[in-house]
Amino acid sequence: MSPQTLRVLERFAERPTAWRYGYELSRETGLKAGTLYPILMRLAKFSLLETKWITTENGVPPRHIYRLTPNGMELARAKQTTSRSGVRVRRTAFSGGQA
Amino acid sequence: MIPPALPRRVAAFLLQSAISIAPRDTLDWGHAMLAELHHVQGNWAALLWSLGSAGVLAKHALLSLIFPSRNRPTIPSGGDLFSKEGPMRKPALAITASCVIASLLFFVAPVFRQAFRVSLLPWQFVFETDYSRLSPELQSIVKKAEQDHDAEALTFVAFRHPQSSESARLADEAVRLDPNLSWVYAFFARRSSLPEIDRWIPVLERLDPQNALPHLITAQVLRGNVPHRAEDEPPAWHSAMAAAFESAKLDTYSSQRKALDRRVLIRYHVGDPELIAGDELFYRRAPYGVSDATSYAELVLASAQVLEAQGDTKAASEKYLAIANFGKLLSPDARVWFWENTQQAAYTRLAALAAKSTRPEEAAFYAFLADRERQTAAQESSSRYRRFIGNRVARWDADLARRSGAVMLLSGALLLATLFAVFLRSRSLRLSSLRPGGLAIALGVSSSAAFIVSSVVLRLSYQPYAEILQHFIRDGDETGLNNLRDFLGHAYAPIGSGWLTPRQDYSSFFWFSVIVLCALALLVAVLRYFQARPRANATT
Repeated sequence: MSPQTLRVLERFAERPTAWRYGYELSRETGLKAGTLYPILMRLAKFSLLETKWITTENGVPPRHIYRLTPNGMELARAKQTTSRSGVRVRRTAFSGGQA
Repeated sequence: MIPPALPRRVAAFLLQSAISIAPRDTLDWGHAMLAELHHVQGNWAALLWSLGSAGVLAKHALLSLIFPSRNRPTIPSGGDLFSKEGPMRKPALAITASCVIASLLFFVAPVFRQAFRVSLLPWQFVFETDYSRLSPELQSIVKKAEQDHDAEALTFVAFRHPQSSESARLADEAVRLDPNLSWVYAFFARRSSLPEIDRWIPVLERLDPQNALPHLITAQVLRGNVPHRAEDEPPAWHSAMAAAFESAKLDTYSSQRKALDRRVLIRYHVGDPELIAGDELFYRRAPYGVSDATSYAELVLASAQVLEAQGDTKAASEKYLAIANFGKLLSPDARVWFWENTQQAAYTRLAALAAKSTRPEEAAFYAFLADRERQTAAQESSSRYRRFIGNRVARWDADLARRSGAVMLLSGALLLATLFAVFLRSRSLRLSSLRPGGLAIALGVSSSAAFIVSSVVLRLSYQPYAEILQHFIRDGDETGLNNLRDFLGHAYAPIGSGWLTPRQDYSSFFWFSVIVLCALALLVAVLRYFQARPRANATT
């Protein structure tokens, strides 16, 4: 999994139940639209992401919003755990075995 | 001044255009990106957002064009989840590998390597930084020649050495090894700045006292690089030219040089067309001494007319005859340049003098010669332009060769970049673990197909010139050398510089575009076929 995908999953995992906008995610993760949307599309394709349209204000087009599905949440947590243990292992290695 | 809202308007237009070409399954996402565009802060940021989004939609549009019914899984399955498109398709790998292997096999043939080098000539000016350096091929010849004391090979390199001082050294060394080669000094006399010329001219005079060439070289050395009016030249120049006009022959030793070139080419197995036909490519030089001879002849013509006006017809006739006789020594290509009008005027005056002296037969003869010179001049002036433009077919072939070389470079670079990206993403060198995306497959297949197609085109476009070269080296047949020179001359021109040529040929651009479009259509058809086949197998 790419670091960019991990970053997106981390953002979703911070507020698991909240619906997020594409532009909001882009600003939070620092990813451009050309990187973010393929990740969102892939997550949605594998049913890890829920999407829906909402109407916000009069005259403004409806917006697409996103939230992780339970499967997506599970994956995000698993990846976070793996990532943390990886960091621990690396720290141990660099500190000569004294964690 | 750009209106502040313009970038946002351009961004909206761009994204709407991308949505219009996007495949159906990405339309929702396209509209989602467009909806977010209204909330992006900053007009330029909106444009960047639109560019990125449009890029995503365009990529999907391209993939859906090449793979119209991609069989995408809808349920995540372990490792496939974040591999971009599943295991590498075997047909795509087979096509790419076979195209690359076939293209590399082309390089086994020396003729193709030669053609490839020729196709890279337009880039030579970009990458070549030191023009005074000897090419590696010539370096190896000179090294071997010095070891073997091969005078002819040293001369061969001396003719082509970019540094005057070094070519003079090699020429001296060659003549020291074989004194019969002293005629080679005639070819270095063009470089009048060389101090060795004063030593070489007496050698040439002793070699053939009847030859006008050493006198012409002397005249050029005296004149220097800046030509003056003939009247203003020093007396020594006039003496040298008078001696040249009294000479019985004019031998420029070009036949000896061609024979020597051939012997060295055969001995050293050299097949580089540049070494054979390239040294006089950029300018069709006026043959040696013609400029001085023309200036001197005009001076003689004027003085003869003065003598004729003074009534000394005998002395005037002698001067006219001197001009006519020297004109006969010049080769046809030399007369093309400056000589014909002077020669014609001399014959016309001789005819007039003979008629005045009541010698009608002599007058008719000179009138006939003057008329023949006039006809030759008319023919030459019409063919001079054609010669300047060169052979149309050679220009076409050179154009094809240059473009094929450029396509080979680009497609090779694209293929390598794609492979590198696939290996980098897979973090493995094992073929079975490679999981390229649709775009990587499309790029790999199309670049390898472009590589093989351009290799074939390059080979075919160069074939006639390889044969010309072989005929010259093997049999001394020079009939095609002008075509080879034209081909190489056009091959040097940078791509896109067609407007510099005297007559632009738009039809070549048209047909080249047709070929490229046909190749792309064929590629899409092949990819669709391979895309459809596994699905057909799966349903049975």
